[in-house]
Amino acid sequence: MTKQILDDDIDYREDESPRKTKFRRLLKFYLLPGWRDDQFSEQEYEIEKIKSKRRLFRRFLTPLTIAGLLMLLSLTILGVYSPWLTIYKLQEVTLPYIPPGGDPFSLPSAVHPLGTTKYGYDILARIIWGARTTLTIAIFPVALSIGVGTILGTISAYAGGPIDYIIMRFVDLMYSIPMLILVIILVPIMGQDLLTTLVLFGILYIPYNIRFMRALVLQVKELLYVRAAKTSGALKFRLMFKHIVPNAISPIIISFFGGAAFSILGLAGLAFIGMGDPTVANWGVDINWARASFTTFLAAFWPGLFLGIATIGFMLLGDGIRDAIDPRLHI
Amino acid sequence: MAKQSKNMIKYIIKRILMMIPMLLLVLSLTFVLSRLMRSAPNTQVVFSIMTPEQIAREIERSRTQDPWFVQLFAYFENFFTGDWGQSYVGNLAGKPVTQIIGEIFPKTIELMIIPIVVVPFIAVKLGVTSAKNKNKMKDTGIRFIAILGAGFPVFWIATLLQLLFGYYLGNFTMGELDFSVFNANTPGMGLPGPPGVTLTGFRIIDAFLYNDQLHLWDSLTHLFVPSVCMIFVSLAGITRQTRSSMLEVLDQDYIRTARAKGVLEKDVINKHALRNALLPTSNLIIGGTASALLGSLFVELSFNYTGFGYWMVTSIFYGDYLVINGLLVFATIIILASTIIADVAYTIIDPRIIYR
Repeated sequence: MTKQILDDDIDYREDESPRKTKFRRLLKFYLLPGWRDDQFSEQEYEIEKIKSKRRLFRRFLTPLTIAGLLMLLSLTILGVYSPWLTIYKLQEVTLPYIPPGGDPFSLPSAVHPLGTTKYGYDILARIIWGARTTLTIAIFPVALSIGVGTILGTISAYAGGPIDYIIMRFVDLMYSIPMLILVIILVPIMGQDLLTTLVLFGILYIPYNIRFMRALVLQVKELLYVRAAKTSGALKFRLMFKHIVPNAISPIIISFFGGAAFSILGLAGLAFIGMGDPTVANWGVDINWARASFTTFLAAFWPGLFLGIATIGFMLLGDGIRDAIDPRLHI
Repeated sequence: MAKQSKNMIKYIIKRILMMIPMLLLVLSLTFVLSRLMRSAPNTQVVFSIMTPEQIAREIERSRTQDPWFVQLFAYFENFFTGDWGQSYVGNLAGKPVTQIIGEIFPKTIELMIIPIVVVPFIAVKLGVTSAKNKNKMKDTGIRFIAILGAGFPVFWIATLLQLLFGYYLGNFTMGELDFSVFNANTPGMGLPGPPGVTLTGFRIIDAFLYNDQLHLWDSLTHLFVPSVCMIFVSLAGITRQTRSSMLEVLDQDYIRTARAKGVLEKDVINKHALRNALLPTSNLIIGGTASALLGSLFVELSFNYTGFGYWMVTSIFYGDYLVINGLLVFATIIILASTIIADVAYTIIDPRIIYR
């Protein structure tokens, strides 16, 4: 039935190929507003019903995933349009500047819509500027750690032998030391500015990705198409990065979002302890300033809520992508 | 069966033997770290507090003025003879590091045991319920609560719970629900028994040993709110993993066969599906005991609970590098031991894995 609609019921002009007819129709469809051709629309509808991208999109948009997407979208808008969303500049809400006449921990008023925090900084302004910091924290260390970890994991799994053994011993060594404590020890030594902390965090989480990628590549390496490519004479490098990696990489893409959530919580925890960057508006520092005194309850509530929104957004998005892409869940 | 257990004993011995070079490597890494820490900016505070004869004794103990291999050898020798140095700054000043570890770790273990014991039961039950009613109200609700626990930072939940139990509960109920234990200087805060003597260091066990009821009640109520925080956060990971494994298992053919055979639905879930779904979850639970040590950092800091995480962070701020080194090495030893235990337990749980 479908094939009939696709092939037979198009009225061809005698001197034109079917491709050119379809192209002419497509051009008319996009350029002339309101142009409808019944046969053409029916044909496209049948094609669309078969295509799997539409089903993928349908499966992706479950309610929880839409919630996660909205959370991340609002965070991005807060981060990108920060200078236009609040009247306070960044220097006015971070540490070396103390606003003259600012009363710390005041209740919400007309000037400060959410109240003030410790030195008189506006809470809403700190939240809006902190969104930029949070997005940087979420993306940069995870990208670094996944990038390097993927490459090293592929090399280690493909080469086998002594290289694999050395890299896996190194990974086991790093696994046996508690990573968060190592970060807290190394941050006062290496400096407290944001870039150093992010690079340190990224480098210290490379072993996890090496092990992950190595397990995935070991599964893909023995499959038939890899052997076929190798028999056709593909060199090692091309074999690794053009054939093996694209087929092994989808769980790693899913773990990108989980890693982003973990990295947000980890670096907010660092800021909570006191080892954050004082020149940037970080939400963990807010929670530290407003700890456990009943007059400062709101000053601790809002930054934590937004931290939670950011983390949950990333996690829901990762879950949604995994539910939509993973071929083992036929649900 | 006897051959399998003999293989397993050989496997355990082989793993323990493989841990020894790993331990030496880790010690070398911590040696490099301690040299780095000695030249860090926040350690100079300690060096300005120490008296000249303390500095001379420390130099002689760790042979700082000799070449690096002599220092490395001295580090190993000090590690294996138990001379880990002493603390110089703050509340712990003057005590040797091994004694500090003996005093600090029982408190953290007390805090850790409650989530480790309680969470698997609750989380597995929640995960199974969530997988049975997929995409219905219960499933969405449970996933929502699990994601709340995983998403919001621990220290934020701790702060809010502190406020709730300490201030709002007492005030808004006109003093009816006022827990006096959350105020300072509660009567049970001291040590049980004769002053200056603790038998095991675990407050609850000491309270049983010395028959001190007030101390027992005090310890339990002081442990209640931090444990609630940690349980709430640990629930998330295990619930999600159980849910996804159960979803995978419920699609399999043997479940369909069991249902067609007429097995009761509760037996299908609890006996046939759950046992196969629990394998990755058990990996997470057993491996999670090691990372529970790290998770206690923020909770202990929020509640001023002087356990491992609290003293780690405080020593980093004071710059007390010997205490930092000692705590780090001990934590690493615990993680190495729990890795071996996790591997062996995984062998026992899954009878299909055979080690040679």
